[in-house]
Amino acid sequence: MIVVCPSGHRSATTDYCDQCGAPIAITAAPPPATEVLPVVEEVDTSPAARQEPCPGCGARRSGGDRYCEGCGHDFLAPPPAPATWEAVASADRGQFERFAAAGLSFPSDSAERRFALEEAEVRIGRSAGRAGEPAPEIDLASDPEDPGISRLHAILERQQDGTYALRDVGSTNGTTVNDDPNPVGTDAALPLADGDRIRLGAWTTITLRSR
Amino acid sequence: MNRFTADVYQNEYLPADGTEVNAIVTIASAGGAGPTQQAEAAEIVIVDTSGSMSAPRAKINAARDATGAAIDCIRDGVAFAVIAGAETARVVYPKGGSLVPASETTRAEASVAAARLRTDGGTAIGSWLTLARELFATAPGRVCHAILLTDGENQHETPEHLDAVLASCEGRFQCDCRGVGTDWQVSELRRIASALLGTVDIIADPADMASDFRSMIEAAMGKATRSISLRVWTPQGAHVAFVRQVAPTIEELTDRATEVNALTSDYPTGTWGEESRDYHLCINVQPRNLGDEMLCGRASLVEGDEVHGQALIKATWTDDQQLSTRINREVAHYTGQAELADCIQDGLEARKTGDQATATFKLGRAVQLSSESGNDGTLKLLQAVVDVDDAATGTVRLRSQVADADEMALDTRSTKTVRAGPNA
Repeated sequence: MIVVCPSGHRSATTDYCDQCGAPIAITAAPPPATEVLPVVEEVDTSPAARQEPCPGCGARRSGGDRYCEGCGHDFLAPPPAPATWEAVASADRGQFERFAAAGLSFPSDSAERRFALEEAEVRIGRSAGRAGEPAPEIDLASDPEDPGISRLHAILERQQDGTYALRDVGSTNGTTVNDDPNPVGTDAALPLADGDRIRLGAWTTITLRSR
Repeated sequence: MNRFTADVYQNEYLPADGTEVNAIVTIASAGGAGPTQQAEAAEIVIVDTSGSMSAPRAKINAARDATGAAIDCIRDGVAFAVIAGAETARVVYPKGGSLVPASETTRAEASVAAARLRTDGGTAIGSWLTLARELFATAPGRVCHAILLTDGENQHETPEHLDAVLASCEGRFQCDCRGVGTDWQVSELRRIASALLGTVDIIADPADMASDFRSMIEAAMGKATRSISLRVWTPQGAHVAFVRQVAPTIEELTDRATEVNALTSDYPTGTWGEESRDYHLCINVQPRNLGDEMLCGRASLVEGDEVHGQALIKATWTDDQQLSTRINREVAHYTGQAELADCIQDGLEARKTGDQATATFKLGRAVQLSSESGNDGTLKLLQAVVDVDDAATGTVRLRSQVADADEMALDTRSTKTVRAGPNA
């Protein structure tokens, strides 16, 4: 059985996390009927694998699959209308130094990840990779995984005028915006503008851009 | 097959920002495996037959008798051989370059061959061990054990050569080493025994050799397991400061780790009979918040792919000084036993080089530590080297006349520890 520790590590031991040693409350163990294997980035060298990354989540398209394994994006569907907003997630050394978690190292080779904001509600989080459990739209579970981000961390809500506002939904480590050290509240959504930087987790900054 | 149990003794409370976690892990093997379950064994007796073994003749006579006595104790079916060592090594029994299964016939033949051992030549222990390794290789899959007897220092090869041989033998077989007389080097034999996970001791009187050989073989025959490793997991960001066997003897294992993965290492412990051993683990961790609990180490025993027993070493950070300043009794006891061994070895070294002040101080401290901890065996050996004025304060005078055998006995047995007593 694989369980998830309070810091979000996947642990094969169920008493204490086999990564960080944190105690794992038995009630926190997820109830999968079948054992969940760790997500392994398979390196597929077949010609079919050399296909475009998924426009939805950036995951590699596996073979000739029609649907993306990461987000369910339909590769055969006509390209969506251009999004007016996008979120760019990147590893931020400033945030890493503020978070200063023991035992973590700053990811050395991480690319920016772009997420088009298409839904009225865009969830930010870190999926557990479990079947049947919807991944958040902005899923920071890989490339690289930021362990400081909660499963469901925050939500971007589309406002009347088409802009987005940010609401923390009770994340473990909180969310801040730009250089304001005060965390974003869970009750009221904070309206965001083009270029605003959402800081969360151990090293992640998400920059909002209008196109 | 739950033959192993593990217990942990530690104070898991650390002050704010505390990083050092100490624990004593006691591992007991219940034995329990009947003869049918016992791993197939192989045994080689390596006898020094250099020229000095016949000066006095009592040494080689005793070695012949002791080898015969050892052969008598080898169980039916155990593959065995006898090697004679000088500046080269030679198989005395059997003929033909491989091991032979023990039976009434082969044991009798081997005893006859052992009674004819002749002395000639020098001492090159590396060549003896190399031949033993080659013979053991002809019996793959067996649990291999050797007894090595010598009376002199390794003169006919370089220390570097011996190191290379030891590296090639590590993990292939275990070797108990015995020095007879007083012309051998304690540090040299200890190095061999440590590398090959065996014991080292002095046989001051050749007359005691047969009974010692018999008990070594009996202990080897009582080992019911294959080679076992102590597996230690530590969390991300943690660092193993040391892993040390502390009972029945002190053995440093820190440098002998084999990495299993980034967070897990295996330390060799050899084979186990029905016995119990204690290990002192010291782990440095990244401090967490007050009130946080953390698993700092998970220790278990690994035999092949099988994992036995499990000990959890924990830390909880607290601002309650009553809790965090307490030193666990077992940890304190074994820290003292390790210091005791160091004091004896440093003190004897200082004594040899004529540094009376250091020798007096170190051996005085050793007297104090052995007396406090109830290590009477070591205290008695110390009293042959120093006159004790006051054991409680460690006030001693160096004796001017000390028998070599007494000094070497103290040196070889300096790593022998006692368990923490109820009132220690």
